[in-house]
Amino acid sequence: MEKRLYKKDFGSFITSLQGLGYKTVAPKKDNNLIMLDEIQGADEISLDHVITNNSIKEFFFPKTEKVLSYRMEKNKVEIEEPEGFAVKAVIFGSRPCDAFSLPVMDKVFNWDCSDKFWVQRREAITIVTIACDKCDSYCFCTSVGLAPDAKQGSDVLLTKISDDEYVVETVTEKGENLIKGLEGVFSDSPSGVPDRQVATVEKKFAIDKVKPWLDENFVHKVWTEFSLKCIGCGACTFVCPTCHCFDIVDECTMTKGDRVKNWDGCQFKMFTMHTSGHNPRSTQGERWRQRIMHKFKYYVEKFDSILCVGCGRCSRVCPADMNISEMLEIIATEASQPGNKD
Amino acid sequence: MDNIYRPYLMNISDMVDEAPGVKTFRLNFSNEDEGKKFQFQAGQFALYSVFGYGECTFCIASSPTRKEYIECTFRQAGRVTNALRELNIGDTLGFRGPYGNVFPIEEWEGKNLVFIAGGIALPPLRCVIWNCLDLRDKFKDVTIIYGAKTVADLVYKHELKEWDARDDVNLVTTVDPGGETPDWTGKVGFVPTVVEQAEPSSSNTIAIVCGPPIMIKFTLPVLEKLGFKQDKVYTTLENRMKCGLGKCGRCNIGCTYVCKEGPVFTAEEISKMPDEF
Repeated sequence: MEKRLYKKDFGSFITSLQGLGYKTVAPKKDNNLIMLDEIQGADEISLDHVITNNSIKEFFFPKTEKVLSYRMEKNKVEIEEPEGFAVKAVIFGSRPCDAFSLPVMDKVFNWDCSDKFWVQRREAITIVTIACDKCDSYCFCTSVGLAPDAKQGSDVLLTKISDDEYVVETVTEKGENLIKGLEGVFSDSPSGVPDRQVATVEKKFAIDKVKPWLDENFVHKVWTEFSLKCIGCGACTFVCPTCHCFDIVDECTMTKGDRVKNWDGCQFKMFTMHTSGHNPRSTQGERWRQRIMHKFKYYVEKFDSILCVGCGRCSRVCPADMNISEMLEIIATEASQPGNKD
Repeated sequence: MDNIYRPYLMNISDMVDEAPGVKTFRLNFSNEDEGKKFQFQAGQFALYSVFGYGECTFCIASSPTRKEYIECTFRQAGRVTNALRELNIGDTLGFRGPYGNVFPIEEWEGKNLVFIAGGIALPPLRCVIWNCLDLRDKFKDVTIIYGAKTVADLVYKHELKEWDARDDVNLVTTVDPGGETPDWTGKVGFVPTVVEQAEPSSSNTIAIVCGPPIMIKFTLPVLEKLGFKQDKVYTTLENRMKCGLGKCGRCNIGCTYVCKEGPVFTAEEISKMPDEF
């Protein structure tokens, strides 16, 4: 049965979760940013935003994480496994686009062999999403098959129905168990159909035109043209909830060290450079093409899923004003009215 | 759940200086049980690590027919390979693998084999060459064409002598013009030219090519001219890799992940990939 959660009960919701041993994460003001971050109490929760500046991915795939530790003594090495990386937590107030990035990324982190750091965090963390009641011009979830109140990837979905009231829907068994364990926090729904406050996100391009065009246009002037202003900073890849490329490096002292997995990005020149200096993707145009191809062609062929959730963070953060949905609009237009390739 | 980033620990039991900056290590598993269980096939690669410096990717250069050890050959170039070079016999290093697909050696039985390698790309073929030579009866003529910049840069000099001395191996060595010494008896010229001159018959023959991208680029058309069908020409690609497991996202050529779907490809498969080498 549908439940209600009143804003005034956020406090008891968060304290009950903490009482059950959950770490609590929610959108929180950090100077002029809104960040998903650990909170101690409900008073820290910020809800007056379109989307958090950081994506949800860092709670499952941190910017930097130990994959093993070791001790070195003369020529002997002893390896130690990292412990305690999967902390039981609830992420409260993430957006549906962020939540959907998780089942999308499950595919690559479980391809053939599973990355236990991802998998165990996925098991430990429960996602309570709040549907978007507003959007901005960068949002394009509806163009990639999602919606501002999409449920995939969330364990519980809250939708605002008035300034101080949310309707609660459980999506998964994990979500159901969470709600069950919190009796008293949620209220029963009165009868009648609630008036859900959900943003209207304009559809910007026809996604079904994109892949067929990409299949045919690995070589096309648009790749260079569009990326001429790109400065290769890679910020787009770091804020993206579905960019998952990483580097593995060692950090150590003389006697002990860690092997560390760090976020990396396809927009960096060094990303693909061979030892010899040869670089398969030596220009920014090639690197930009890789980003688009990976998201809208390669990942689709491998895993039957687009590697983009339409959150628009990459475009919001780009210092050169590169806009991924503009790129996709160009592609969709080219697909309908082919221009000159060269 | 296993940690897919955890390497085996291995100890260096022997080392050879092959060429300036190029070394071969013989490695044994620190844990004998792990060594007994370990299996690989020709063509596969691994991530080797020096603790405190990081990991680097190269092929397994020894043959799976020789089970007691693994050998790797590397050129000192970056942070990790410089650190590798500083290691001594008895030292411990990390080994993560084997990864990737394999050369379909069983399919080649009853055929002639032509191996073509350039420079530091002989190590990935050495694995297959010894694998096939250890099963010599199963194959017909074996030709090895190997070139390097200079005489000093040829790797596995002792094995080249051994192959040269064998009646059942036809070895052609070459160095780039200017790389010869006064007593050099091999050929002088670039690998694609030497292959054209050597004219290996394409009839019932498999060609296995490995070298720098530029060498592969010019050798494939030569093989085509000699009548080799694209599906009878094999190569092994190397792209920058960090995980070796299809997750870190950098080794792809178009939709193909070299670490998982490769590193072994036929020329036919490569011809269908976008030009992103």
